[in-house]
Parts: sequence; structure tokens; C-alpha cells
Amino acid sequence: MKKRFVSFMLAAVMSVGLLAGCGSGKEEADQGASKGDENTLTVWAWDQSFNIYAMKEAEKIYQKDHPEFKLNIVETPWDDMQTQLGTIVGAGNYSKLPDICLMQDFAYQKYVTTYPDLYLDLSDSQIDFSQFAEGKLAASTVDGKHYGVPFDNGTEVACYRTDILEQAGYTMDDLTDIDWNRFIEIGMDVYDKTGYSLLSVQAGSSDLIYQMLQSAGFGTWKEDGTPDIAGNENIKQCIEIYQEMREKNVLAVVNSWDEYVATFTSGKTAGVINGCWILASVQTAEDQSGKWAITNMPALPGVASATNYSNQGGSTWAITSNCKNTELAEDFLSATFAGSKELYDTILPSSGALATWLPASESEVYNEPQEFFGGQQIYSLITEFASKTPSVNLGVYYTEANMALATAVANVSGGSDIDAELKTAQDTVEFNMGK
Amino acid sequence: MNSKVKMVFTYILLGVATVISVFPLLWMVIAATNKSVDVIAGKLTIGSFIVENYKNLVAQQPLWSSFLNSCKYTVLVTVFALIVSALAGYAFEIYRDKAKERIYGVVLMSMMIPFVALMVPLFRMYSKLGLLNSAIGFMLPSLATPLLIMMFRTNAKAFPVDIIEAARIDGLSEFGIFFKMYIPSMKSIFAAAGVVTFMNAWNNYLWAKVIMSDNTTQTMPMLISNLISGYVTDYGMLMLAVLITTIPTAIVFFALQKNFVEGITGSVK
Repeated sequence: MKKRFVSFMLAAVMSVGLLAGCGSGKEEADQGASKGDENTLTVWAWDQSFNIYAMKEAEKIYQKDHPEFKLNIVETPWDDMQTQLGTIVGAGNYSKLPDICLMQDFAYQKYVTTYPDLYLDLSDSQIDFSQFAEGKLAASTVDGKHYGVPFDNGTEVACYRTDILEQAGYTMDDLTDIDWNRFIEIGMDVYDKTGYSLLSVQAGSSDLIYQMLQSAGFGTWKEDGTPDIAGNENIKQCIEIYQEMREKNVLAVVNSWDEYVATFTSGKTAGVINGCWILASVQTAEDQSGKWAITNMPALPGVASATNYSNQGGSTWAITSNCKNTELAEDFLSATFAGSKELYDTILPSSGALATWLPASESEVYNEPQEFFGGQQIYSLITEFASKTPSVNLGVYYTEANMALATAVANVSGGSDIDAELKTAQDTVEFNMGK
Repeated sequence: MNSKVKMVFTYILLGVATVISVFPLLWMVIAATNKSVDVIAGKLTIGSFIVENYKNLVAQQPLWSSFLNSCKYTVLVTVFALIVSALAGYAFEIYRDKAKERIYGVVLMSMMIPFVALMVPLFRMYSKLGLLNSAIGFMLPSLATPLLIMMFRTNAKAFPVDIIEAARIDGLSEFGIFFKMYIPSMKSIFAAAGVVTFMNAWNNYLWAKVIMSDNTTQTMPMLISNLISGYVTDYGMLMLAVLITTIPTAIVFFALQKNFVEGITGSVK
């Protein structure tokens, strides 16, 4: 009797555990994000010295014409934001959503597709979307509708230590407009002569592979949204380049993100290739001021669509469906992030936040020479790169594909066969998609 | 001679184990005094950057209000959780009732439900009750924990029933017996349970982050999480925040260490 009771309770407890994941209909509740104040907007964003700083500057600019306007910025790291959005949507209580929230570009497709009523369609608002770089705008556009105001720029840059290159007998021109074969040749030579690797990556990350793919306009999805990984010759070529660089000491593989940052800040590698936001980390090494310069990344060899431009990361402001004063939110964003040169002029020098709003790049601030980079006008250069970056659909299941590819890269480094690993990656992604 | 060799080996082994366990703490202290660039470069000597790190931290984050929030919630949770769970554990052991064992079974089985699964329904309930962004909302889910109830019940077994009966005959009320006789004789288990609850409450992150979506209710774990969310992480500042967050738990643990070990191993004098 007792046993039966225990097993019954066990079953009951477990089924409660299962059911708990399922949410239900939306509810109306009285607590609004704006807390009833019509002139206050609640914003969720992360990074005090970057995104939040930019938002605060935008607030100041908008306050000049609207003195009663206020922002309530709640610092919310991206990982936590996903938990919170998941909980709020699961509980069906949208009233806990902020008015505006910052979204990672790679997650946009997923959230808009999975929760179609989470973000407002801004296509008909006064925001002029034609003034944004097309490649960037693609991230927050689903079925031709715009769901956000693009903010920070993830344009790929290649930065090199000019002093180390000089020791090996190279200049920045030798590394500009090249392909990966030439990059490996130079890299081997630099390693032989100076002992420095030209590039470093974090182990277990497939970001570099993605950057290479996007530079030629390749993605990891077929037209119909199914994964295109197994037997994909482009991915295979990128992984082969990665392996060759690793074996020839051109690429140093380290274990964690802080080790990765340390490779260039403490002068263990002679170069960095990543989204331009990495420049903020590069510049923390004050003792290396004047020794760095930037150029475009190497292109994929033997590929017709190859370019020297790509993208990694970036984020976009979204207005949620809970926003009580959409007119105000739209007007605020269109007057600042989509319409104020003054804003971008302020935030660029102090935080390095580059605009994807094209008119901003005409400003003089973008043409100022940067001492850290040997007097190079890096910002106008990056803006130029941005305009040449091929646009790629990262797909709804970007995170899943990214992780599966990272595993494949790690296993190939351990000696596995590329084709077999790509097949496994394909199966993993399909499994995660529920197919 | 043989035993001396054995001793030498024992001490070497213990020495190595000590270094392995103490090094991360030591490194945390050292890192808090260094510049971010030096921290990731692996500098192992005390630096002179601690004041700078502190200034940066205070300029960027509401350090002391977060610290006070953490203290407030943790103390409240610990006090109430101990009272509720001790009462429950005591009652499960001392009082006779037919349904008792079944209810106890349900309590223990609730340990099997992962908190992540409870989060959405709890959030729903609490938002209906208007408990979001409130201290009560933060505390309620951790007041009655099966682990504590089990600990208290196991320990109550060692409490002599004769004394309870003697006290009843002498006219002491049931609550009187609990507060005046049971609690004073169970110091070590209270210390052990206190340390566990304090640490859990202090480090509570997931639920705190879900229920508190306001800057004024931010706690220390949230503050640390904010520090590592950006493009650039200032590791010196981060380690200083981690150091400050660690101090209260360290104090509580060291103060109650002796009792904690007794309580966990279950000995009652």
C-alpha cells in the first residue's frame, strides 16, 4: 500500500514538473512597465560603458526638446534577459516587459518568429529605415517588416601590430586585400622570424568560421530554413583553413575569453580579427598605443563571391508590445538613434560605439585620426567596410548551429574527419530544431 | 621511524590540498588590487590599483545599496527559513498523526522538481499577487525547504521525548517547549542549517533576477553578472566586487564553522 502511494506521488510530482513548462494565455495585469508615468520609458540593456552609456546620452539629447522625458534603464545582461523574456512569455504576463529592450542581432529572427506578438512592427512608424546599412538592417527584418532600430556595429576588422610586422619585413599594405592563403604564408614567416602568432581564437568557438563564411555571403541554412551543414563545401573549406593555420602556428588557440583578450593585450599575438567592438579591448593595453593599425580581413581563396568584409555581433533596439506610449518610444528612437548626428558624435570618441545609421558617418568625428592606431582614421575606414559587408541570413536557430559547428571544429582539431563531424553537426541542429 | 615518514607524507599531501583550496581565494584578493590588463596577464603579486578599482566600481554600479539589499534579504530569509523549517521538522518527529508520513513523503519528493520548472508558474502566481519586485516575493519560495525540514527532523529524533513529557506535566506550552527547550539544545544543527540557508540566499541569482526587474532591488550576484556582460570586462573591478561579495559568507562560515561540522555530521551532545 505504502509503496503504491509513493510511486503514485512520484508520478504526480514528475508530471507536474513536465507540465510546469507549458504556459497559457495572455493576461491583463495592472502593473505597467511605464509605471503609469506617460513620459517615462523603461529600457532593458546591458553594458554600462557601451549600450547603457549610449542610451543615457540619447536621453539627454531628447530631453532638450522634451524636458519632461525620462528613461528608467534597468541593467540586464543578455543571458538574464533571455531567462526573463522566457519567463514572462511563458507566464503570459506581458505587462512585465519593458518599453524598449536591446536585442542581440543573432537572436532577432528566433524571438520574432517564436513570439510574433513580442515586438512591435515599426515599418509604418516615422523611422526612416532606408538610412541604415542594409546588411545590418537584415538582422531585425522579418518578412519585410522592421522590428527594431539598429544600433551597434559588428563590422569585421583585422588589427595588426605594425612593430612586429616590421620586424618580419611586412607592412600593413601586405596584409590588405589578401586571401587566407597569403595570410598563412605571411603568418608562417612572421612566426619564424619573431615567434608571434598572427591570430588567436578561443577554443570551442566557431565565430571565426562564421566570419569567414559571411565574408563570401555564405550561411548555414538552405532556402527553406533547414540546416545546410553536412557536405557543405564552404564550411569545409573554412575549417580546413582554420586547421592549417593552427598546425602552422599562425593561429594560437586558447581556452577562455579572458585568455583570448590577454593574447593581444599582453602582446603574445601580433593580430586580432573580429567584430570592431573588439577594438575597445585592444585599446586597454595603453602601453601598445601607436603600434596597432587596422585593415580588412583576408578573403576566402578560390571563391567567386569572396570579399574582404564580414560581421560579428551587433545589437538592435526593439519596442515591445507592452509599451504604453508607443508614439513616444518611436519618436524617441527616431529622434536619437535614427536621427541624431550629435548622439553618434558624442558616443563614438568616448565608447567607440560606431553607428549603422549612415548619415552619422559624414560627421567630422568619424574622420579624426586615432593616436592608438598610429594616426589612422579607423572609424571612417570601418564605416566603409560596413557598407561592403555581404548580408547573410543567420537563421532562427543561429545559436544551435553555432554551437554544433563549434563542437565540429573542436573535434576536427582533435583529429576527427571533417565530413563526419559536419554530418554530426547537421544531425545535432536538426535534433534541436525538433525535426 | 615508519610513522614519522607517514606523517611527512600526510603533511605534504595536506599541504598540497591546502594550496589547491586556498589559491583561488588568494588569487581573488590579489586580482582585486591589480589593473584589468595585469589580471588577465596572470600577475601574482599584490598591486596598488585597489582604490582605483573601487572608484570605478562605485561609479558604475550601486555597490552599497546592492550590498545592503543582499544583506537585508539574506538575513530575513535565514531567520524565517530556520523558524519555519525547524517547526516543521520538529512537528514531523514529535507529533503523532496518520497522514504524517505521507505528507513528509510529498515534502521530500518536492526536492525532485527542479527550480527552473517552477519558475514560470511561480512568476505567474506572484505577478497576480502583486509580489514582483518585493522582498516577500524574493523570500517566499526559499522559506520552507525540504532539505532543512529533513535536517531538523533527523536531529529532532535525538531529542529525548521524556523531557517533552516532563515539561508538559510541568505546564509548559507546546511553543514553550519548542522555543525554551528544543532550540537551546539544538545549537549545532541551527548553525549548520543557518550557514546553508545563508549561503543559498546570498547567492540566489536565478529567482532574484526573474522577480526583481528594478534597479533599486538589485543584489550582489546581479551586480557581478552586470560586470561581465559588456564588450570589455574590467577584471580588477570584477574581482573586487567578487571579494566584497564573498566576505559576508566567509564571516558567517568561519564564525559557525565548529557548529557547522557538528551539525552536518549529526552529533548532538
